Amino acid sequence: MELRMKIVLVLTAVLALSALAPSAAIAQYGLRGGTPMTFFVTSEPIGDGANLGGLAGADAHCQKLAQVVGAGDRTWRAYLSTQALPGQPAVNARDRIGTGPWYNFDGVMIARDLAQLHGDTIELARMGNNLTKRTGLTEKGQIVPGLNDYQVPRDSDWEYTKTTPYTNRHEMLTGSQLDGRAFPPGVDYTCNNWTSNRDPAPGGPQVLEGGPGRPNAQIGFPDRNGGGNGSWNSSHGTSGCSQTALNRTHGVGMFYCFATN
Amino acid sequence: MKKIFLWMLIGFVIVPITTVAQGRGSVPMPTSDRIPSSLMTFFVTSEPIGNGGNLGGLAGADAHCQMLATRAGVTGKTWRAYLSTQARPGQPAINARDRIGTGPWFNAKERIPDYLNRRLQRPIIQSEIHGDTLDEARRGSNLTKEFAVTEKGELINGIGDPLPTRHDILTGSQPDGRAFTDAADHTCNNWTSNGAGSAQVGHSDRVGNGNQSWNSSHATTGCSQKDLVSWGGVGLFYCFAAE
Repeated sequence: MELRMKIVLVLTAVLALSALAPSAAIAQYGLRGGTPMTFFVTSEPIGDGANLGGLAGADAHCQKLAQVVGAGDRTWRAYLSTQALPGQPAVNARDRIGTGPWYNFDGVMIARDLAQLHGDTIELARMGNNLTKRTGLTEKGQIVPGLNDYQVPRDSDWEYTKTTPYTNRHEMLTGSQLDGRAFPPGVDYTCNNWTSNRDPAPGGPQVLEGGPGRPNAQIGFPDRNGGGNGSWNSSHGTSGCSQTALNRTHGVGMFYCFATN
Repeated sequence: MKKIFLWMLIGFVIVPITTVAQGRGSVPMPTSDRIPSSLMTFFVTSEPIGNGGNLGGLAGADAHCQMLATRAGVTGKTWRAYLSTQARPGQPAINARDRIGTGPWFNAKERIPDYLNRRLQRPIIQSEIHGDTLDEARRGSNLTKEFAVTEKGELINGIGDPLPTRHDILTGSQPDGRAFTDAADHTCNNWTSNGAGSAQVGHSDRVGNGNQSWNSSHATTGCSQKDLVSWGGVGLFYCFAAE
């Protein structure tokens, strides 16, 4: 009996360990592909809507999340543009992220250079880059939940989704045009250069685009499915800049992070 | 002793469950959200003809589209397979994009209502699926894995789904939807060969080969049914209602 018990115990231990082994391996970033991670989607938002504390606050968020998974030795930049203001030139997201190539958590290449990432020629644009639902992973290697994954009725309600990490949250803040550059000044596409959590006055038109005096941010989809087009960096706008407004259309204020080195 | 068995049970049950939960499989879409069949103007064939790249030419492929649509209860439409053929002496090339009408095209499914409570999927548009302008090419179209369903409204297995993968879709076309102009075979000899040759394919799930092309991702290394299967396809193709 004693012996049988011991055998059972050993077998259980072996089984448990073998089940854990793959997840232990992928818990360490970059191990699977052997190429260091230089791209990820933030696994969590900052949490104050589109007020990210400006570009500096967003960059710090990237750096902090990278640090947690042991990738803090690189310089991380949030893929965000800011629009020109008097005495302050625009900043283009594509000019902030280095020259690539960029690899995800799995060591899979997202794009070899800026031209492929943004489809700078029509031939490149038609083929697309390699950012898909299966490669647009967080710094922890998670797929970002998108349309049709988990059909949770309250997935547009921040009060619910903030404690339910698997709800659809596939809208990434970019504030950018399709080519990765900032929108011209005037109409807001960056929630006041990532400092605003304001919403439009109630009663206005229900649209997902910028307009005069309307708080708004441009978003894209890492799973390439949404907005009727699937653009990764410039699909449509938001219903406002607050956390609840972002969540209304299935975003939570997450964004892309790229390592510049 | 009882406790040990309890823990064993937990080990056997919980560990695999959490492993699966952490996995990246997708949850299947509900099947109850068909739209009226009269609205469907686009689908991926639910089954291949089965003779590799020999589809009986464009006529054979069109007839297959027509047969599947009729079987799904959609009548009164002229269906065209999205396939190009290459030029031969005395026979000009045919571009897939020129065969399918002007669109826009709807698939067989409703979607979950969006923020503005729209239930109908955004249709696919001729200029968007082919990226006719740089902006359109960059932005992309709504031809996603969820849109590219069969005439029965079923998803096509792609990368990450249970095997066999069926996402290689025969097109014989360049990314702009036109026939190839070089001498090499890209159409399994204009869809008559089930042996030698090659066919250009796209991916209905927009994943594979490092690009997202739905209509021109890579070439196959042969035209037999076995060759197609070895690349992750079975010889499916896109069908469009040309009205």
